[in-house]
Amino acid sequence: MEPKAIDWDQLHVIIDKHRYQKWGLIPLLQEVQEVFGYIPPASIEPIARAMKMFPTCIQGVITFYAGFSLKPKGRYVIRVCRGTACHVKGGRSILRMMKKELELEEGETSPDYQFTLETVACLGACFLAPTMMVNKNYYGKLTPPKVISILNQYRKPKPTESSSPAKEADDGR
Amino acid sequence: MESIVLTINGKKISCQEGTSVFEAAAKNGIHIPSLCYHPDLKPYGACRLCLVEDEKTGRLFASCVTPAARDMVIQTDTPRVLDHRRNIIRLMMAEHPESCIVCNKGNRCQLRRIAADLGVGENDLYPMPNYRSFEQLNPFIVRDLSKCILCGKCIRADHELVCTGAIDYNLRGFRSRPATAHETPLEHSNCTFCGTCVSICPTGALSPKNAWYAGTPERQASSICGFCGIGCALDIGISGNKIVEINPADLEETVNRATLCVRGHFAHDFLNSPDRLTAPMVKSTGENEEPAFNEASWDEAVEHVISRLSDIKRTYGPQSIAFIGSTKCSIEENYLFQKIGRAIFQSENIINMASQNSGAQLMALDQKTGGSCRVNRLSDLEKAPAIVVLGPDPDHAAPVLGYHIKRAAKKGATLIVIDPLPNDLSLFAGQWIRPELSKNPNFSLTSLINGIAAELVARNGHATEFIENHTLDGNAYTEGLNAQDPEAIAGLAAVTREDLKTAASLLEGKKTAFVVGHTAGQSISEAGFNALFNLSLLTGSQGGKGTGIYLMTEAGNGMGAFDMGVSPDRLPGRHAISDESGRIPLEKAWKTKISPDPGLSMLRLIEAAENGTLKAVYIMGENPLRKLPQPRRVKNALKKLDFMVVQDILCNQTVKLADVILPGAAFTEKAGAFTNMEGRIQNFAPIVSPPGQALPDWEILALLASKMGYPEKYTTIEQVKQEIRRLVPMHADLGSHRQGWLKNNGLESGFRFNFSPVDIPGPEPAPPDPNFPYTGIIRGLRYHLGCGTRTSRSERIQSFQLRGQIEISPEDSQRLDLSEADRLRLTSPFGQIERGFRINTDMTVGQIFIPLAYNQNDAMNLVDLCESPTSGAPGWMVCRVKIEKNETSGEMP
Repeated sequence: MEPKAIDWDQLHVIIDKHRYQKWGLIPLLQEVQEVFGYIPPASIEPIARAMKMFPTCIQGVITFYAGFSLKPKGRYVIRVCRGTACHVKGGRSILRMMKKELELEEGETSPDYQFTLETVACLGACFLAPTMMVNKNYYGKLTPPKVISILNQYRKPKPTESSSPAKEADDGR
Repeated sequence: MESIVLTINGKKISCQEGTSVFEAAAKNGIHIPSLCYHPDLKPYGACRLCLVEDEKTGRLFASCVTPAARDMVIQTDTPRVLDHRRNIIRLMMAEHPESCIVCNKGNRCQLRRIAADLGVGENDLYPMPNYRSFEQLNPFIVRDLSKCILCGKCIRADHELVCTGAIDYNLRGFRSRPATAHETPLEHSNCTFCGTCVSICPTGALSPKNAWYAGTPERQASSICGFCGIGCALDIGISGNKIVEINPADLEETVNRATLCVRGHFAHDFLNSPDRLTAPMVKSTGENEEPAFNEASWDEAVEHVISRLSDIKRTYGPQSIAFIGSTKCSIEENYLFQKIGRAIFQSENIINMASQNSGAQLMALDQKTGGSCRVNRLSDLEKAPAIVVLGPDPDHAAPVLGYHIKRAAKKGATLIVIDPLPNDLSLFAGQWIRPELSKNPNFSLTSLINGIAAELVARNGHATEFIENHTLDGNAYTEGLNAQDPEAIAGLAAVTREDLKTAASLLEGKKTAFVVGHTAGQSISEAGFNALFNLSLLTGSQGGKGTGIYLMTEAGNGMGAFDMGVSPDRLPGRHAISDESGRIPLEKAWKTKISPDPGLSMLRLIEAAENGTLKAVYIMGENPLRKLPQPRRVKNALKKLDFMVVQDILCNQTVKLADVILPGAAFTEKAGAFTNMEGRIQNFAPIVSPPGQALPDWEILALLASKMGYPEKYTTIEQVKQEIRRLVPMHADLGSHRQGWLKNNGLESGFRFNFSPVDIPGPEPAPPDPNFPYTGIIRGLRYHLGCGTRTSRSERIQSFQLRGQIEISPEDSQRLDLSEADRLRLTSPFGQIERGFRINTDMTVGQIFIPLAYNQNDAMNLVDLCESPTSGAPGWMVCRVKIEKNETSGEMP
């Protein structure tokens, strides 16, 4: 399954919005990331041209920050905390279980672009250890049953329940 | 700027405010180790090895990024500092693969050097080499990023010096590495293979690819690059008698500093080509047998040349002999060459292949400025407020000039690029004026320049004060401009009026540098040059530093060959041959008479050979068969000659036609000097010996002169230099020191520049021939110089697999219904060639780009052999062509 095609018009609207802004590159990239879910590699050249920078510099900024991704991510990005407090409270087991449940390794995205599994050094919510985030929602004091139920909330309806593959592709992101 | 006093290692040191502690120490002979510092790059503080200790506070800091402050007390190698340095090196070594024994960097690895200095051997740390993919598919650069220490020198050199932006850091932390856009291999990125990063890399992460030698060369010597007119200083690595590596020379005040280009860095392997000529040869003239070349001794060969040339001179007169000098040979050799031609053989026909275009521009500039603008330093160009680039893309034709222009633009200079083709400078340009030559077959560059001038006057943006104080006829000129019809001018310039207005607004009030080049003998016309000079006066740019007109010369010693009088109408020192004041001193010195009539131009020379009035040609270091348009015609003309001597280093097409072949020496094998486009005279010395029996060209000429019974004997190059210094005051600086400069004429007080009258091109009613609907623009790519006689013999350039595909816009490709593997047949009114093609989205419709120097430079078949450019001709080589798919033949062999 392919990620959604890039909407070039939308990209150019974003570029034009930021091109004359001072220090506009990061806000521009953030918006692209926000709107597209990732920064399409093919957008590096038009961005570079607009910002009068070398494409390699743009790519350097993108790859430097964990918040930017050049690969399409899943609809739900799960970030499991691997900080000290979470580790003590069994964060490693939560991650192991998550990998098994989603059949994904760290940094991977499921072929249907439903989930991306990531780890972070600390979510800053140690009092809730072990924790994780799904997109912008926090989940704390995780236990295996709780993880399963959270995952089920975000899982796609089973293929038998969905009407057609075409519709499924539409929901892709 | 204030001066600061501080103490380093107990020594009182004064330095300028803003100097870093590192530089202050270095200037006073205190060495601080560093892996990321380079004098031409901004300090970066990446390696942390330059740590020093502040005695007062006990603080440790990186000295390269810390400005010196008043009353600092610094210690550079306390035990504490050394301990830290050792640890940094140990960590670097732990991450470094232990492959020193097979590493190309060999003994020049700076990491190993510093580790040795600090006594770091076995480091007792767990080795954690960060293995990365090893990249060596391109023929120039091997990338082994597992050896990268992240000093960022390659990236900074790329961004700050070369300004190509091929690489930058990707990722961060342990995973961080320099990477190309989309992490493609170098050959698929916009890397130009200038190799600057290779030379600057402190470790073996980047190294030159070399199939015949690895590791440290036996010895190193400096020389001057023999390719384009920039004259970069080279540091040449030699092993045995072979040149195995080239780097930019680490010397004061070189034109290129830490940079080079792909030709300078990698194409010099042509010097080791099996095609080098190694022995004098004389063509046998046996009856009814195939002519064959027989090896001869130097005495035999030279005596044969003398007897044949003397015979011809006696029978047909001196004007039946022509001498074609070389822009690749030294000043001294060109001087001797034309002296032999003029003084011994009494011939008027002395010429070099560039004399008619770049030479003409040079002369025009010299006349208009009273000889006050012979030196135009490229380092000043970086300070110009505005730059206009005209002609070939400097990033390809003379890459180091391109770097200067890009650096200037990055520093804030306004850059205007006038070019119908996609140009590597356009990313940096405030405006890219692209005349659409396909829309107007009568395109006139003169009109384009006059159009900008007119708009500048219309908005009152011209330098009125300068015009009033330093020029004549200013009013007549501006009136002439105003008399033009702006729309018609824009039409002739094949641009919109808006383009001209924008250019004028960008140039308003700015002193401007105009960089003018030429392609394959096609240069800006006289009228165009006059218009450009007028514009330079209008912007008040003449007489300033870094502004005015910069003329590119195509070959290494284009300027020198011209200055030495290898030109049909000029004597050494740029004196017109008709001008007695220049001629008489030379006649006295040479004890001979010099004819005041100019000799034949290149076209007339070929015609004379065709109709039999020219009987013999002596060619030194030139390949007219590959360089001139219509090679078949040139070949037939040269075949008609009774006698032809070719003195060259490579066995090329022209050599094969010769009756006598004299093997010369390349610039690395002889002493001499080149004058570059700046007017910088640079000496070089032999660093290897010529192959076989080959001799330095000046020795061959000296041998010839002495065997002719000429009284003056030249046994050392210094004798020739002395004679030049004595007779050509402009070259008084030509000495044994590394570099000097041409002498400018001092201007008399009250000197005024002259405006030329505005030349309005008449309406030329030449409708485009519908049979040839496309406009082909011919010019070189950076991998070859000129017609490519030398560069095409470079093993590395050859294996880069460039096939000289033409470039075409997607629309045209669609219209012609082309598919990827198609071969195209291009037909112009003058000839036909066959090429592959490539779609380039930046090309304009109706225009195609035809690269020079491929397939024996067959692109020259498409253009006509003609006199120097006519009025209105652009500085690009243009031809009208028809494009057809070649259905019959497959891939060319």
